[in-house]
Amino acid sequence: MSFKRLDAEDFVVSATSVQSTAWSTNEPILTTFQTSSVQTSGTSGNYYISVYQVAATLDEAEVQFDITYGNKIGSGSEFFDPSIPRLTPATSIYGQYRTMVLEDENSSFIYGDGTNTFTPNDFYALSIDRARYKEKLFPGTFNLKLINGSNTIHLTDNSNSTNIATFLGSNRVYQIISGSNGSPYDTTGYVANSGSYGLFLPDIGTILLNPAAINQSIEITPTVTSNVANGTNQSIIYDAIKSGGSFQLNAQETITSDFVFVRSRNSEFNYSSNPSYISGSTGEIIFPQFINNPQTYVTTVGMYNDANELVAVAKLSRPLLKDFTKESLIRVKLDF
Amino acid sequence: MGYLNNQVVTVDAILTKKGRELLAQNDGSFRITQFALADDEIDYTLYNPVNPSGSAFYGQAIDNMPLLEAFPDENQIMKYQLTTLPRGTAVLPVLNLGLSAVTLKQGASLAITPQTLNYLGNATAFETSGYNCIIADVRTMAEFNGTGIQTTAAQTQNSTSTTTLGTNVSSTVIGSQINLRATTVNTLFGTNTQLQTTLTVIGLDSGARITIPVTITQGTTL
Repeated sequence: MSFKRLDAEDFVVSATSVQSTAWSTNEPILTTFQTSSVQTSGTSGNYYISVYQVAATLDEAEVQFDITYGNKIGSGSEFFDPSIPRLTPATSIYGQYRTMVLEDENSSFIYGDGTNTFTPNDFYALSIDRARYKEKLFPGTFNLKLINGSNTIHLTDNSNSTNIATFLGSNRVYQIISGSNGSPYDTTGYVANSGSYGLFLPDIGTILLNPAAINQSIEITPTVTSNVANGTNQSIIYDAIKSGGSFQLNAQETITSDFVFVRSRNSEFNYSSNPSYISGSTGEIIFPQFINNPQTYVTTVGMYNDANELVAVAKLSRPLLKDFTKESLIRVKLDF
Repeated sequence: MGYLNNQVVTVDAILTKKGRELLAQNDGSFRITQFALADDEIDYTLYNPVNPSGSAFYGQAIDNMPLLEAFPDENQIMKYQLTTLPRGTAVLPVLNLGLSAVTLKQGASLAITPQTLNYLGNATAFETSGYNCIIADVRTMAEFNGTGIQTTAAQTQNSTSTTTLGTNVSSTVIGSQINLRATTVNTLFGTNTQLQTTLTVIGLDSGARITIPVTITQGTTL
């Protein structure tokens, strides 16, 4: 016998939440920001700017996040067709996020809560690359520094001052405030008459920024006249992020592991089909000592389905001696 | 492919190419139900039963050797399975296919009936559970199936044995007799006159294994 059936109790499924840095640099804070002239001058550049951790021409360059701009009434980018005003890439972006987040085509984004709410027509959106945020963003780790000239603002989410998560549609949402590590600098971290600085949507890897609130703090404002060159407003917030030079974010994912306990009894697996275990082609065991006291060295565990197909394999880091006086228990962890 | 750090005992587990394929199929075929152990990489001639330092040192050359990481190709790993036999066994099971290599012309057929020598006190035996037969490149075959074993697994394997998925071209069947028929497709040869692959047969009860080369020659005559 060379195959042994596994029992139900030999399997344990475990799920573990793992947090890690989001960026390709494996550092918590992204400090350098680069764009690609090929991307920004292409068709996609009409809608968004891709931001890399190093020069886009380098082999190790990977998209970290995309910056886009949405406007409800079509201002801030070029008309698709001059004879049809209001339809621009900015309108498409606004409608896209409204459908995805608010799940209601008649709604508008509202920043802030209580008595300090604000409903503007536009937003900047930072869409984190899926490979960076893995499953979801980790609330409380978002710290973004924006600089315009001598004006600086530090933004974070308000997860530390929120006991119960709130939802927009089916999306978990936190307000973006002035502060750090999930806590406000002052009472609320909001801006007078402009609500919060935006919305932090961890489950879809999206950060919406409120242009009016940011303008009050660091005096940058999107150009919202009609038929503005595409990419103009994305560049405004990109320049502030680049000048700030500090974007901290962690990713969170649940790793589901299947533990398989491989048990061999003292009487099992004590002989080998290894060609060096026998002498010649007749199958005689190489050493006389092995006839009554066989020894084998386990190096590999193969896991099979009912059709005897090898579906997973595990290697030990060193050979494990097995004989009639030893039993072994090997724990194999398969991650999905 | 690198060495595993053997300062501590760890287990490095991966899905094989076949495992990933079955997982992607999402039809329940990726379900681990059994295991086997193997001693790939071990050279027992390094075992020294006359070591002057004593029996604790007989396996000195093997005990602490570093091992390579797992290979995802299921044809390159689990080559030498460990087996359970009665204590006192002096000769180990060996497979006999009746031939040391297979050469077929296009469209020609061959039936192989593996036998196990030295198994459970018998000079020659057919294993009750049958034989696992793996062809490394099933595109070389118009027909590849096993007969004589009536389990659901064996019948399922036969029904899809010549179906390939992308570049994953190895195929496994179970039977007490293995039937091969060489491909008739000329385009597989390109500018060559032969196709080469391997056939690996594993006794499901004994764990004994043998691999032989398979050659398909172009044309209808050798």
